[in-house]
Formats: sequence, C-alpha cells, structure tokens
Amino acid sequence: MQKPFISVEGLTRRFPDASGKGTLTVFEDLWFGVEEGEFACVIGHSGCGKSTILNVLAGLDSPTEGSIVAAGKHVDGPSLDRAVIFQGHALMPWLTALANVELAVSSRHPKWSTQQVRDHAMKYLALVHLDGSEDKKPAQLSGGMKQRVGIARALSLEPRILLMDEPFSALDALTRGALQDEVLSIRSKIKQTIFMITHDVDEALLLADKIFLMTNGPKAWVAEVVENTLPKERSRTDLHKLPNYYPMRNHLIEFLVTRSRELALNPGQRPKERMPPIVRPMAIFNPVAAVTSEAGKPAHPMQPGSASVA
Amino acid sequence: MHASLTVRAALVSLLLLGLGLGAWHLAVARSGPAVKMDPEYAKLMGATATQGKSAMPGPGEVGAKIWQHLRDPFYDKGTNDKGIGIQLAYSIARVMTGYLLAVAVAVPVGFLIGMSPLMSQALDPFIQVMKPISPLAWMPLALYTIKDSSISAIFVIFICSVWPMLINTAFGVASVRKEWLNVAKTLEMNPVRTAFRVILPAAAPTILTGMRISIGIAWLVIVAAEMLVGGTGIGYFVWNEWNNLSITNVITAILFIGVVGMLLDQVMAYLQRLISYAD
Amino acid sequence: MAQALLLRLRRGDAGRDKAARRDTRGIHKGTVMSFKDPFDPANTLAHSCSCGEHESQAAHDAAVVDSTDKRYERVVQSAIVRAMFPQDAQRRAFLASVGASTALAAIAQFFPLGMATEALAQAQGAPEKKDLKVGFIPITCATPIIMAHPMGFYAKQGLNVEVVKTAGWAVIRDKTLNKEYDAAHMLSPMPIAISMGLGSTAVPFAVPAIENINGQAITLSIKHKDKRDPKQWKGFKFAVPFDYSMHNYLLRYYLAEHGLDPDTDVQLRSVPPPEMVANLRADNIDGFLAPDNVCQRAIFDGVGFNHILSKEIWDGHPCCAFAASKAFIAEAPNSYGALLRAIIEATAYASKAENRKQIAEAIAPATYLNAPVTVLEQVLTGTYADGLGEIKKDPNRVTFDPFPWESFAVWMLTQMKRWGQIKGEVDYAGSGKQVFLATDATKLMKEAGFTPPPATSKTFVVMGKTFDPAQPEDYIKSFAIKRT
Repeated sequence: MQKPFISVEGLTRRFPDASGKGTLTVFEDLWFGVEEGEFACVIGHSGCGKSTILNVLAGLDSPTEGSIVAAGKHVDGPSLDRAVIFQGHALMPWLTALANVELAVSSRHPKWSTQQVRDHAMKYLALVHLDGSEDKKPAQLSGGMKQRVGIARALSLEPRILLMDEPFSALDALTRGALQDEVLSIRSKIKQTIFMITHDVDEALLLADKIFLMTNGPKAWVAEVVENTLPKERSRTDLHKLPNYYPMRNHLIEFLVTRSRELALNPGQRPKERMPPIVRPMAIFNPVAAVTSEAGKPAHPMQPGSASVA
Repeated sequence: MHASLTVRAALVSLLLLGLGLGAWHLAVARSGPAVKMDPEYAKLMGATATQGKSAMPGPGEVGAKIWQHLRDPFYDKGTNDKGIGIQLAYSIARVMTGYLLAVAVAVPVGFLIGMSPLMSQALDPFIQVMKPISPLAWMPLALYTIKDSSISAIFVIFICSVWPMLINTAFGVASVRKEWLNVAKTLEMNPVRTAFRVILPAAAPTILTGMRISIGIAWLVIVAAEMLVGGTGIGYFVWNEWNNLSITNVITAILFIGVVGMLLDQVMAYLQRLISYAD
Repeated sequence: MAQALLLRLRRGDAGRDKAARRDTRGIHKGTVMSFKDPFDPANTLAHSCSCGEHESQAAHDAAVVDSTDKRYERVVQSAIVRAMFPQDAQRRAFLASVGASTALAAIAQFFPLGMATEALAQAQGAPEKKDLKVGFIPITCATPIIMAHPMGFYAKQGLNVEVVKTAGWAVIRDKTLNKEYDAAHMLSPMPIAISMGLGSTAVPFAVPAIENINGQAITLSIKHKDKRDPKQWKGFKFAVPFDYSMHNYLLRYYLAEHGLDPDTDVQLRSVPPPEMVANLRADNIDGFLAPDNVCQRAIFDGVGFNHILSKEIWDGHPCCAFAASKAFIAEAPNSYGALLRAIIEATAYASKAENRKQIAEAIAPATYLNAPVTVLEQVLTGTYADGLGEIKKDPNRVTFDPFPWESFAVWMLTQMKRWGQIKGEVDYAGSGKQVFLATDATKLMKEAGFTPPPATSKTFVVMGKTFDPAQPEDYIKSFAIKRT
C-alpha cells in the first residue's frame, strides 16, 4: 500500500512529569496520514499535544516512540523542506522585514548572490502585500504584518510542506480574518501540503481539507478524521451560507465540548484499529449523507450529520 | 509659559554648581590670623604655616590649574613628569588593552556557558568565588607571577572586567528566545551561523550591558592600580601629586578622571543604542 | 643656576670620556705610571717619567720591582680612578672630600664577587647593557641616584639610565626582583631581608654602596610640642616607612632606650612616606620617624615639629642603599661598574656642602622629588626651621658616604633578631658579608697598597652605647626590651 505523503506512525511522546520521577504521556500511538497537496488541520484542546505533533513534524522535537515519514523521508530533524510558521511570529527583532526573509532565503540558497537573495525575498514579501514595508523592523509593524512576514519567510523557502502552529491565534478577529483570506489566496497560487494546528473551528472549516480531532490529554489520540464536505471554492464571508456548514461546525463543536473529554475519561473506547475513522458530516437532506469509516463499521453511536439541522 | 524641562534642569544644575563652588570657596577662603614669625624663619615655612592658609585649595586655584593642564596637556619632561594628556592616554591604553583582552575571553566563554547548561553549572562555583574578589587583591599575585608591573596592571584590568561580561554574555545567550533558535533550526543553520546571525545579535544588548559595567569598573580600578605600581598613567599622576601634597593637582586629576570615565561610559551607551532592538 | 651647572657638567663629559679612553689605551700599552698610588690627593697624574712617579725615567726604571700581579692590580686601580676623574684637580678634590680609603673602597666595588681580575683585564669594557632602569622613592635619601640623571653622571659613563619614581618600598622590591629595574634605591635593611627571604622570595642581593648617612628625623604633631620627653608618649601612634627600615629600628631603639616597649606601649605602622604628612595633619598619627623631605615638609606645612634628628640617635647611621641583585652584577659587570661609578661620583659630589643648593634645585622638579625647593634646601644644607620657631643649623643633618660597612649589616641583623623579624641562629658576619660588599673593598685596598679601614667592620656608638660587631648576641642580650 502506498504510504501517504506525510505518514504518522505509532507516534508517542512522553515527558518527565512534575515530580521528575515518572513520565507524563501526552499522546500515545498516533496513526494518521496527509496526502500531498492536502491542507490538514489538527483541532483539540490545549494539552492534547497538538503543538508537540507539529514540533515532531518540524524536527524540533523527537518522539518517544514511533516515527514520521514525510515526502518519503524519515523525519529525524529540521529540514528546509518543512517550513514552519510559528505561533508568535518569531521574527528576529533586530532585522528588517526584508532581512528576516533574506535570512531564510540565504539559508535555502547559500550560493546565491546578495541581489538574487534580495529579489527572491522581495517576491514573497510582495506575495503577502508587504512590499513597501520591507525596511521596517518588526517593532514598527502591526501584529498582522509581522505574521505576514513570518508567512513570507516560510513560503520563500519553497518548502514541500508548510507547518503552521496556530498562526493567527495571537491576532485580533479582524486581522485574523484578513490573514485567513491571505492564506486562501496564496493557496490558490501555490499548492503545498499544509499541516496546521488550530483551536478555531471556523478557521479549520475555511482552510482545511481534512480535520483531525484529538481527544483531551494526557494519552490523547486522534479520535476521528473529519473530511471537509464544503465546496472547494469557499470564502470567509459566505462560509456560513453553505449547506454543510452547520453540520460540519456542530460536529466539530460537539466533539470539542463533550466528546473530547468523554473519550479521554474512557480510554477503553479507543478502537483497536490503528487508523482513525473518517467522518463526513452532512446536512440531513443530502442523499449521500453517511457516516463511514475506513474500517467499514459504524463510526460511533451518534449520527453527527443529522443532529444539527435545527 | 514654562521653559522646557531640559532648560529648567540645566538651570537647576548650574545653580547647584554655583552653590557648591560658593560653599567650597567660603569654606577654604578663611585665612587664619597671620602668625607672628621671625621673617628669616618665615622664609623657610610654607603658606599654610605662615598665613594660616587652608591646606585645601579654592575653586579658583583648581580652575587655574585645570586651565594650565589644558593649555599644555602633552608636555614630556622626562620619565616621571608628563602632561596630563599623556598620562590619561597611558591609562586609557592600559584600560583598553586589558578590557579588549577581557572581551576576547569573556564573550566566547560566556557563549559556551550560556549554550551549555553543563558548563554553566560546572563553572558557576568558580565564577561565584572569583567575581567578588577586589581586583586590587590580585595585584600582589600578578606582580609575583607576571613579574612585570605594567602587564600586572593590565591583568588587573582584565580580571576585573571579565566577570560582568562573562556573566552577562552567559545570561544573554542562555535567554535567547527558544523560538528564534527554532527558526534557526528549521532553516538548517549550522552552529556557527546560528551563533553569529541569531544568538549574538539576540544577546548583544545584554552583552553590551555587561561591557558597559566592565568599562566602568576598569576605569575605577586603573586609577588605583596605577597608584600602586606607579610609572605612568593618571593614577600615577594623582599619587605623584599626593606625594607633593598638591591637593590642587589631585582635585584637578579627580575631575579629569571623572570626565574621562563619563566619556567612556557614553561611548558604551552609544554602542548600546546602536545594537539594541525593540521587541 | 642648576641648568647652567648641568650644561657645564655635560659639556665637560665628552672631553673627559675621550681622556678616559686615551688612558685606557695607555694601560694596555704597558705604561707603568699607574704604580703611583692614585688615591693620594697630593699626587698628580701628570707625566714626568713614564709613570709620573719619578723625577726621571731612570729613577722610574730603578723603582720597578713590584711583582707582576700586584702591578697589574694597581695599574687597573689607577686606570679606573683616572677614568673617573681624568682631571687631576677634580680627582684631588674628590679624594680630599670623601677620604681616600672610602673612595677606594667604594670604587673597589667595580670588581665584585671575585671576578676582579677578568673584569680588570678589560678595564672599562663596554657596558653589556646601556639602557638601564633604576627605581627610586622620592625622598632626599635618593639624592645621588636622582641627581646623577639631571647632572649627567650616568651619561658620562656611557649609560642611558632612566630613573623611575616608584610608589613604595614593596613595589620597588617587587620591580627589582622582577628585573623591571636593573638596580634600585632601597632601604639598607631591605637587601638583607630579600637575601634572607624575609617578606619575599629569597634572592641574593647586594649593597655595593650606601647612599646617605643620617638625614632622618623624629617629627611629632605640633600639638605635642610640650611633650618632649618620650616617657610622655605612651599610646602614641607612630609611622615608619617600612618594616625592614633603619627608621623602624632607630625608632624602636630610641623608644626602648626611654623605657617604652615599641610593641605594646605605642603603635607602629608602616605608612608610605608621602602619606605621613597627610596622616599627621588628619591626626591619624602622633608622629613618625621618616626620611626627609617628609619631615621638613611637615614642618613647612605647619603640622609638625622636629623632635630630634636621627643623627642624635646614631651619628653616621646608614639609611638608604644602592642595591642590585647579584644576578645583575654577574650578568652585566661592566654596566654595573659604570652604574656604580656614576653613583659614587654623584655621592662624592653630593657630599660637598657647597653643592647642596644646586642639587636641591636639580632634584626638586616634578619628574624627580616633586617637592618645594625651600624644603629640599633646608634638608640638604642643614639650615632649617625646626617647626617651633627656631632656625637650626647642622651641616651634617644629611650627608653622603658610600662605604658599605659590614658592621652596619650586622647591626641591622641584631635589630631584626631583637624585634623578632628573624628567629633562631643568625650568621651575622656571614650574612653581612654576603650583602654588604665591603670585603672586596678591603682586599683590593690592601693589594693596592693602601691602608684600608682597620676592618670591613667598625664599632660605632648608638645612643651612648658602643656596638661591637664581633659580639652581636651579647649586644642583643644587653637590651632590657626585646622580643627574643
């Protein structure tokens, strides 16, 4: 069987606990895959270890057990092919916007001339509409602009995989929306595999093709994979008008509000199968509304699609 | 209408200076009753003995002396008598030599300590013990082992300026934000490039704070060190004039020492402004 | 005035140097005029026969009966005296003023450590090292070392000597031990202490010449002007310049003779001389036994008065010394010889009362003593204000005589033992000989046919009590107050 583009296999991460004697298992035996060109999103409560998954993917952290294979290669450290957009913008405050991007470009292309590096960096700053602000230091930029620089920096690497760690969580709602639009528009131009962490349901619905739902920690696991059933072409403004919007949204919210906690309290409910079930929540009048699982058995007792049309 | 704060502050400064100088003048101006003395005997005695003059000079005398030094700061009348400009240059050269050596040692070692928790813990007890030692306490040991007084003076400058820089560098390096280091990692930067492009600029303000503290200490210490070993330098000048009981020259030298110390500090402050960053 | 003098001296130098070289060549050619005792002030060294001693060459030839060795020694002696004083008038004046034996003894120090013969074979060999550094402490005791610089005595010997003012005795010791200085002005007990390893590592040091005798004083705070009896001094705080100093030993001696135990009845502190006046003014100390110009400066500034001069304790006591490590003497004998010639010449010059005013002016500037000329004149001429309203006159307040009597060293050793600075058995005579190079002097004087001082040691009287250098232990035992 062909492995997915990103294949997470049996990933477990334990940290020493507060007493220093025992260990704390954040998540255990995770299995899931992301296909090339897919926009995957992990949703879960704080403490479920979603940032840790991203760190392992980025090569900044290593798993206690299991491994990740990305683009056919075993992940055992950071790589320029896996660019990270950090939660805080993580810009070097002593460098201008341009220099921040240039630092990345010259790391990617050490042999390039200064001019080549500059042109390439400018190209990506222009992509995030920051041409004109390239000589400003981060302190002179607004929060949204800083994160744009962060995005430009990651994109300038032209990575095969883009990792986003709650990239907009520190921004106010208006800016966040604008940046989400930005990501959508970039995505229409550059087809990259994207793995994003978020706890914003609408953000996931807007951006992601596939949403991994994680139970609460400790010993969290991916309870199910929700396939986004909204049309590919969607925008933030008319998202809520789409027919499958509410079933999707309610399914996610319901998971976050109740099921993530209940599942964590009853680890016995974790299915034996490695791969989490795939769920496609849909409006009740949709003739193909169904809940299927990869293993071919009922996913779980609730009918996620139907419950929410009220 | 109020004048700006700066102007008002300057006026208050001037007023305080005037009051201080006035009080100084009054305090030393009183001349005791002229002592009755055989004129032949009086010829052999100094003014403090014959006219009951205060042993402290007044502001006028000090001012005249400063002017005298400023008019000819670079005269050279032999090994033991050089102009105040030359003496200051000697002291500054000594301070700079010891100080730059300290920079050359403290910054790399500080880097090492800052980046390695192991080294940090291993070296900590040594640093804690060495740091509080008065630099001048090293002097006899330096003279004994180095067997050269001017190198000993430089060593003392070195040893006193190394600690603040070492500690600040280590602290600055250790507290470089994890996220910047993560950026460097994801960019696959090698350790040298990370050190120069990320850690050094990130820790630079902290390092420079240490350097600024150090230069202040070094300047404090050089005066005392030169008073001990003599030869050249502003400390020697003070000692030489103290030897001649010329309080006027001592006060003059004190003012010069203060001004040079301030200038050194300002240079460091300027550098600090250059490399600091707003977050 | 001083400047004119300097010029005169310097101008004279070149000519004298040439003369010296001519004379040296003469020796190598084997002329025998040097048989004549060059230390006899009555002699001229003008030539009437080939040696100048005889009325005619015939008379001369008849007189040549000396053994070759002795003749050789004398030739060299004579050569050196003439090298130093090529002008007869000057030479005679010098010998008359310091005494032939003293001069020879001092000059004989050119040949230290038994290497005389080799050194003499080359007579005045070129200095191995021309640029020398000599450290000094800015006090009048250093007069010969200092004045030799402005007055050109060093230059005349072909040396480029830098006289470096130094902050204190410990520093001058360390810098000399570290070879930063080639030779230095020290307190005369210091080379003994250094050689014995007291207060430093033991390094063999030598005193080839004493610099000054007398020249110190007990100065008391002006508020004690009515307490002239030492018995009233209980609880006083006194300053001395250094632990290993004649000042320390003389003050202790003086106090003990008046029934005060210097360790329990009063407090003695080591204070650098420059700080003494300030401390006296600040009332931190009640008095000090210090080198001049410090004593006179306290009087000049109206904060102290002269209680007694140190010569009233021991007339003719040594104070400071010209000291060098034996390593330097062995490594650079010619430089050392040249240096010493300059010092001895300067000492001879300084010993003359009529030169003292000029010297005062020459050494007063900031680069040397950095002291008011009035003060230095009072010290050097011995006409001084006593701080109590009287002008006193004592031409021997300070004087200069280079002979390093071994018994001086022995006396210092007895005092070191007496006050517990050294413990156990002391080889007085041996230690004295090692450091104070008087033995060579006597030996050379005898070989040269002079009447040397009765011994390299002499007895002297300290506060009415005669010191016999042959009986040092008995001397110590005779004191009521001691630490042994």
